[in-house]
Amino acid sequence: MDKNFLVIENISKSFGENKVLENINLNISRSEFFGLLGSSGSGKTTLLRILGGFEKPDTGRVILDGVDITNLEPFDRPLNYMFQSYALFPHLNVFNNLAFGIKENFSNKEIETKVKDIAALLSIENLLNRRIKQLSGGEQQRIALGRCLIKQPKLLLLDEPLAALDKKLRSKTQLELTTLQKKLKITFVFVTHDQEEAMSLSDRMAIMKNGLILECSSPEKIYENPKSLYTANFIGIANIIEIYKKDENFYSDDLDINFKLNKELKNTKTNILLRPEKIKIQSSNNSNINSFNSFYGDILEKSYLGSFTRYEIKINNKIISVLDQNFNSNSNYNFPIGGKVVCSWEKESIKILED
Amino acid sequence: MKNKLFEKYFVFTPYFWLVLFFFIPLAIIFKISISVSEWGMPPYQEIILFNDGFKINTTFENYVYIFTDYYYIGSFINSLILALISTFFCLLIGFPLAFYIATSKIRLRNILLVLVIIPFWSSFLLRVYAWKIILQNNGLLNSMLINLGITSEPFQLLYNQYAVIMGIVYTYLPLMILPLYGYLNKFDLNLIEASKDLGLNRFKTFFKVILPLSVPGIVAGSLLVFIPVVGEFIIPEMLGGSDRLYYGKILWEEFFVNRNWPGASALAFSGIIILVLPIVIFQILYSRWSQKNEI
Repeated sequence: MDKNFLVIENISKSFGENKVLENINLNISRSEFFGLLGSSGSGKTTLLRILGGFEKPDTGRVILDGVDITNLEPFDRPLNYMFQSYALFPHLNVFNNLAFGIKENFSNKEIETKVKDIAALLSIENLLNRRIKQLSGGEQQRIALGRCLIKQPKLLLLDEPLAALDKKLRSKTQLELTTLQKKLKITFVFVTHDQEEAMSLSDRMAIMKNGLILECSSPEKIYENPKSLYTANFIGIANIIEIYKKDENFYSDDLDINFKLNKELKNTKTNILLRPEKIKIQSSNNSNINSFNSFYGDILEKSYLGSFTRYEIKINNKIISVLDQNFNSNSNYNFPIGGKVVCSWEKESIKILED
Repeated sequence: MKNKLFEKYFVFTPYFWLVLFFFIPLAIIFKISISVSEWGMPPYQEIILFNDGFKINTTFENYVYIFTDYYYIGSFINSLILALISTFFCLLIGFPLAFYIATSKIRLRNILLVLVIIPFWSSFLLRVYAWKIILQNNGLLNSMLINLGITSEPFQLLYNQYAVIMGIVYTYLPLMILPLYGYLNKFDLNLIEASKDLGLNRFKTFFKVILPLSVPGIVAGSLLVFIPVVGEFIIPEMLGGSDRLYYGKILWEEFFVNRNWPGASALAFSGIIILVLPIVIFQILYSRWSQKNEI
């Protein structure tokens, strides 16, 4: 696998006084599905637009498959860009939208074959004669995708590819998009503000904030072992607890309990992350608490989510979120609001945040 | 009940307006155009006479006259050509300007729009007269050229059809820019980027995406310039020479100099019919086309 298929090197960009990107470095492999995740204003879309050629970086280079494309115009780059609004041409029908990018280089017969092939791949054969306005959001998304894929790009850039779809269609399209990408082996780089979307689509993803890349790794690693407080809070639900060294163990003032860690700490004081599904919840009647890594709490709120129940548990003045899997078919298994419970966790589940 | 009645007939307001200010005056013009001309005030006879019994007193002589004399047809053709050329140049200059205004940042956009509208705040006559001062033999432009040593003799810039075209393009340009701007303002700029991304350079993107999607704005702006320019009288009169006669000028002379009201009315009526009929047909065909293409 070519690890340096797309190299983003020292990219910086400012709009006037506003620094949008600061010294971005990324290496993306061939056939990788790569996600850029960040809230609005993080610079993720600007980075994607620089890759597409719609913005010029102030400094740095973009190298695609060994070729420096930094100064190439969009129409000279061997890549395609799928717009969030899809940007389908309203004056052309579906067939001509799909054929738009290949009209120049192929004969009518070849164009017809190519359009038919791509339509079959995306199962949109029945839409070819339609006008854009007659299409649903999901259909438009497919046309936009097909219009790019028909050019067989080396790299496909997707700006919020699923943002315009409703929730049900989104999860279906997510699956289709990953299947398609694995089948075609085209490198995909996409931008999203939705952490679930980033997690389910990406092979690897980069977390962006204020024009910087905070972390770049696989979704599993970023979820299980985030380095920063920002990432821990941004991805999934996070219980963040401040602990400090006290005698042999660690202690939290907020929870008034002891912690035992599975590794030594450099600092005497640090934030730790405890994911809600790592916490075991038990009735206080038939279990006792240990001297460390567990506490008594009161259930403040609960929300039934089908496969899980989410509890908000109050201990002292701190609220800890716990996700409990509903593997028992008996609904009485759930703990009532106001009930007293024991929460406990393995020391391996405690993740130390670096900053 | 009263409100309901109002609602029911409210939709007819534009038609009421059209009848009151277009069809009735048009009918009056037509009536005068088929009257027999006479030395008096008004300078035509009534079309129905009652003095010795009922008698219809009409003539189509005026129509026969203007359609057989090349003097009239030629001047109308001159005006059509003038309008076509002027509309073309207004479009050529107006389209890039409108596009630039529509795609610039909101603050700059408002300043540019005000700049487009500002000339309307001064008198139209004054602006055309100002061009006369700039272009005349001892005018601003010629003295500048002489002082710079580019020429020793002044150029004859005034009193020809080029001065007329320039004056018309200058005056009517806002009428092209504003409707075009109104349309291009809604243009999705992502479409231009999408076209470039799919491999089309700027030139091809313009012809394959920008131009086809701007057709409604171009049609609106062009009609707004073309129609009034056909009847334009003041600009050819002030900036033009005797090399070319235009429809507006003939109409004026027939009416005020020759005091031939029936002849002038026939000329005006024919002009309106010749101009309006094709435009109405064009509009019907165009609205069908744009509905089909959903632009």
